[in-house]
Amino acid sequence: MSPVIIILCILSAVLATTMLFAKSPITSALCLLGVLIMTAAIYGLIGEHMIATLQLVVYAGAIMVLFIFSIMLLNLTDSENEYRKKPLVFVTAMALGLSIFGFLAYAIKEHFGTHSAEKNMGMFSPEVIAELGGNSKVLSHALFSQFYVSFEVISLALLVAVVGAVVLAKRKID
Amino acid sequence: MTNEILLQLLAAFLFTMGMLVVLLRRDTIMILMGIELLLNAANLSLVVFSKSAHMIEGQVQVFFIITIAAAESAIGLSILVNLYRNFGSIKTQSATTLKG
Repeated sequence: MSPVIIILCILSAVLATTMLFAKSPITSALCLLGVLIMTAAIYGLIGEHMIATLQLVVYAGAIMVLFIFSIMLLNLTDSENEYRKKPLVFVTAMALGLSIFGFLAYAIKEHFGTHSAEKNMGMFSPEVIAELGGNSKVLSHALFSQFYVSFEVISLALLVAVVGAVVLAKRKID
Repeated sequence: MTNEILLQLLAAFLFTMGMLVVLLRRDTIMILMGIELLLNAANLSLVVFSKSAHMIEGQVQVFFIITIAAAESAIGLSILVNLYRNFGSIKTQSATTLKG
């Protein structure tokens, strides 16, 4: 377990917690940006270079620019957190979150305890990927051969979303 | 404890935090950011599972999820701008026209 990954995990957990409790939306947006960049770094460290680049370009680049742009455009100021006025809601949500995290952690522990490695493994071990020309090449090849129908459908969904966003932004509601 | 368990725990934690952001915050923009955090946690989990099982289906799925997240945030933010234009606020309490 590399120490860099541990540091990245701790930092992104702290940033996610800060995002929940921050008062102003811009602080939350910057914390989310930090989490996304840390996740991209983790992807890079475990050898998923293609996904790391996509995460950095699409998530940390395009999506977060949209968020920060809307926050600044709408001039959103500090929002007092309503849950401070409702302690019951806050305590219930915290208990729910804690229990869900507990269940997930238990499921992860069970999974890694019972499923031993070397069973039901796919064919793309790190050696095979290195032999086939690297992560990006293998992924792109799968994307344009095995999953090309999904790729086309996704591009259509993106087109529909772009048209929908323009229509929504231009429409005047009386 | 190996890398995979640590990263899966991180994904579970990020998922919980995203869920709490969606549940607790009343700004529409915060709810959208919480959804992004949820999708990011699911992506991390998929990539690490797929990596440890020596498969690439998870990475392809993550590619599609990132595309859908981009589309979703574009639509969501234009809805948000419309909400602000019509109600002068982006709190969820202000958009109560359909409430009985």
